[in-house]
Amino acid sequence: MIVSRAIPAGLVLALLALLVLAPMAGLLHLSALPGYEPADLRFWESAYLRRVLYFSIWQAVLSTLFSVLPAILVARAFAMQPDLPLRRLLLGLFALPLVVPGVVVVMAVVSVYGSDGWLPLGRSLYGINGILLAHVFFNLPLAVRLLLPLWQVIPQHHWQLGDQLRMNAWQRFRFIEWPLLRETLPGVLLLVFMLCLTSFAVVLTLGGGPRSTTVEVAIYQSLRFDFDPARAVMLALLQLGLCMLVAMLTLKLQRMPEVEVAISTPYRRRSATLPVVVNLALILAATLYVGLPLLSLLIDALQGPVLKVITNAQLWQAFVNTLFIGLSAALLSAVAGWFLLQYSASLARQGRVTGARLIDLAGSIVYVIPPLVIATGMFVLLSPHVDVFDWVYPIVIAINALMGLPFVVRCLGPSIRQSHARYHRLCLSLDLQGWNRFRFIEWPLLRRPLGLAIALVAVLAMGDLGVIALFGSTQTATLPLMIYQQLGAYLISQATVTALLLLVLCLAVFALLERGIGGKSDVAN
Amino acid sequence: MYSVLFRVTAGLASLLLCFSLQAAAPKLVVYTYDSFTSDWGPGPKVKAAFEATCDCTLELVGLSDGVAMLNRLKLEGGNSRADILLGIDTNLTAEARSSGLFDAHGLSLQSSALPNPWQDDLFLPYDFGYFAFVYNKEKLASPPTSLRQLVDDSDGPTLLIQDPRTSTPGLGLMLWMKKIYGDKADQAWAKLSPRIVTVSKGWSEAYGLFLKGEADMVLSYTTSPAYHIIAEQDLRFAAARFEEGHYQQIEVAGMVRSSQQKELARQFLAFMISEDFQKIIPTTNWMYPVVGGDKIMPPEFEQLIDPAPALLLDETSVAEQRKRWVEEWLEVMSR
Amino acid sequence: MLLIENLQFGYSTEPASNMHFDLSVKDGEVLSLIGPSGSGKSTLLSLIAGFLSAHHGRIVLDNNELQDLPVAERPVSIVFQQHNLFPHLDLYTNVALGVDPSLRLLPAQIDAVRDALARLGLENIQRRKPGELSGGQRQRVALARALVRRRKILLLDEAFAALGPAMRAELLELVKALVAEHEMTALLISHQPSDALIASARTAFICDGRVSMLAPTAELLAAETPPQLRDYLGHSE
Repeated sequence: MIVSRAIPAGLVLALLALLVLAPMAGLLHLSALPGYEPADLRFWESAYLRRVLYFSIWQAVLSTLFSVLPAILVARAFAMQPDLPLRRLLLGLFALPLVVPGVVVVMAVVSVYGSDGWLPLGRSLYGINGILLAHVFFNLPLAVRLLLPLWQVIPQHHWQLGDQLRMNAWQRFRFIEWPLLRETLPGVLLLVFMLCLTSFAVVLTLGGGPRSTTVEVAIYQSLRFDFDPARAVMLALLQLGLCMLVAMLTLKLQRMPEVEVAISTPYRRRSATLPVVVNLALILAATLYVGLPLLSLLIDALQGPVLKVITNAQLWQAFVNTLFIGLSAALLSAVAGWFLLQYSASLARQGRVTGARLIDLAGSIVYVIPPLVIATGMFVLLSPHVDVFDWVYPIVIAINALMGLPFVVRCLGPSIRQSHARYHRLCLSLDLQGWNRFRFIEWPLLRRPLGLAIALVAVLAMGDLGVIALFGSTQTATLPLMIYQQLGAYLISQATVTALLLLVLCLAVFALLERGIGGKSDVAN
Repeated sequence: MYSVLFRVTAGLASLLLCFSLQAAAPKLVVYTYDSFTSDWGPGPKVKAAFEATCDCTLELVGLSDGVAMLNRLKLEGGNSRADILLGIDTNLTAEARSSGLFDAHGLSLQSSALPNPWQDDLFLPYDFGYFAFVYNKEKLASPPTSLRQLVDDSDGPTLLIQDPRTSTPGLGLMLWMKKIYGDKADQAWAKLSPRIVTVSKGWSEAYGLFLKGEADMVLSYTTSPAYHIIAEQDLRFAAARFEEGHYQQIEVAGMVRSSQQKELARQFLAFMISEDFQKIIPTTNWMYPVVGGDKIMPPEFEQLIDPAPALLLDETSVAEQRKRWVEEWLEVMSR
Repeated sequence: MLLIENLQFGYSTEPASNMHFDLSVKDGEVLSLIGPSGSGKSTLLSLIAGFLSAHHGRIVLDNNELQDLPVAERPVSIVFQQHNLFPHLDLYTNVALGVDPSLRLLPAQIDAVRDALARLGLENIQRRKPGELSGGQRQRVALARALVRRRKILLLDEAFAALGPAMRAELLELVKALVAEHEMTALLISHQPSDALIASARTAFICDGRVSMLAPTAELLAAETPPQLRDYLGHSE
């Protein structure tokens, strides 16, 4: 019942708070010690900070809108064409951009849209255009994958009613599709906003110059070059506050669907030709948009020293390290997210909607505390007591699990909530609790979104460069780290091959996890 | 546990080799940057060469770059495992000095390739380089011959540079402009700004973009073409020689005060300025050795431009003024 | 016999506006509950089942107090209007879960499940999934599960609302027979007065969180007072 659900959720929340707050406290404490820069209060009133804030928000908002709004259309197109050939492959492709390290994305985007590229934009690439291009590349596919399951929840008779009432496409969207979108869309918007706000390499390199400084860059600068931990923490908190504001806004937009949805099977509507053509065009456009940079990466890589890279034992060791980190982080994230979401779902079922949303928010918003801050803070706390080098894996896994939590919340949240709303009382009355409940009821019904969530977090953690770069050393090399090292040593073509390998491996892992955990058939909702 | 397992798998051969030595041999821990310890960097050769003479094990710990290294050491305070820090440059030495974490090395560097005699008792140089703008000879027929020309020519080549807040070459260029223009640096930057395609986070992004043809020139090192010539047999790249000279970057190493292996550390530092170490540098780190000169540099290095005179701002001014200078730079570039 | 004594539930501090139930149901009886939406019928069933906890009062079954027991320990089977079955499990498994949630059934229990399914005419389709069945068949499966559980109290929350008259009548007769046979006590919520006529000797009218009237069914359905009852039934003045 409620009490028992609250305990594991409370534990997870406590751990989250600890993981996020303790390192920041450590950093603040550090800056109070002698030998550190005294706080320069001028900074907090400077025009520089204002500019930085403004730009950070502006590019994040623009990127979010350009990513998510088209994603709605594309997801819809996919949903309307359930019999599309290669559908699975295309959707799998859409999981890839998130994996690619920022620095490789920059190269790929330049390959396509740069001066020597296929669709040259010239110098206007470097500025908000470039940032948008790269951000949309990252986030549109993600948003599509997160929004697509919504259409499968729409009951058949709603469509039939719409046809009967001779609704046109816009009316169908407004009355049938939008109500369900309204529940999930704010969460997706928030997630993409956070991803764009904290984006670093992309903004700095494709942004064209210091005009494109974001809060994340300022944090990086404070911690690394100025060695002003207090300022870094304050900026991190500022970023957190910003996201809370955005979250509050999105909370206002959210509405629970009024209709209790019955068991439904996907409704195959016979559409006229024009809508089908439009849908196919949308899918094609999205695929090209996502595919071209990946294709350019493929082409560049195949021209590189493929054999040399593949036969390098170090590479395979790095791959194993990468896989280990990815899977562990995914598992940890999924378990933590599971407990949080179960509690949130029971709150929602009781009508305590705000409480439920706050729990979801807590799970998501930790994303915006930069891993650099957490990692450095953890370091400060741990290094007097232990040899930090021995703790690299646990720390990297923990931070990556933290970074993956918002994705788990997005993927799994709606399904858990629905399953809970429908079957909780039934399970109670049949004394279906604990392990029995999990293996007979929850696992079969929730496998699919769980599989997606785990697969996403795994590849996200596998492609992570930020955290491992801070804590790792060459001994604990991962593939992204190797790529970055190669790039830094003139070995650009080698780096491209390694990046391709990373991508292929991630694709394989993603497919295996999604299939293996998610199962094959479409379980009825 | 897991990491130990895979370390064994990867280094099985060398581990077996060192097994007999490892039983009783002391260990020297060196913090350095990633590209030093990587396969294609100086690391493996240095390790092999030193262990052959020292009857010890050398552990090279790769941390992303110089700044990260120093910060790490600061955070570890007196508890660090490191015996030696290798890979900070002269822009960071003032800060390193004031941290109080280093001990005098007690060695003297008699003849070095450096233009000025070495006087630092805390840090020893192991290689150096010069910043320069690299270009593709086939695409740019007549590159600028001085920094002033680069700045003044409004139809001049397009540039890729790095951010001084996040990158050492970026910082180098900013200091270079300061050295040449002094207080008028702002105006120079303003003139240069329209031709800067982008300011990237690090050297690799800028260089990668340059190789993709995004701009005519990229801020890099005079030794960059050497890589292309030697490793790729590609003769298209060259550095533009500026008549005022080129800003210098000297990389140094220092002995950590809290080290338990001071004798061994000194031995390593002495090894570092010996030919056995120095001859590894040119084709793995792509910088100039401080000792040995022409004897150990590959012949292809002769094709590189002569960067003299070497420009350098003293470390105290840099330490004091850097923040202010960066803010001014930001101000100009953000317009 | 099921006795509901002074059972109070509500969110307000004002006792008067909380719900307050007093009721008794005999062994072998199906008591129908009718009343306007929001009057508390479902709440009463939830209180009996244990999904909600009352502030005061007792629920007593054959001298055993139930009100402090957790849901799983109460001798209750409940059939909802929908979502009674797990869509990914076949009918047999859905019913078997009613016997043992870990699905480790003894041979005797397996037989009992088969018998229950047969009793409700479902033995030929027991391997199908709920998605392939009609509404009526689904509710029958839910009944089969309730049957096989042998709990003393059976609660039906508008269980047959979506079914046609003939099907409803058939299932109501079935419920009546089962309840009498096994000496269960049942409460049935329905919006159809005709359901009450078929299944129940007595009917209670629930209004404003109270049992407003309790009488033999025919009598209650013809009653002119209280006015809320008359309005609910649609009798003209």
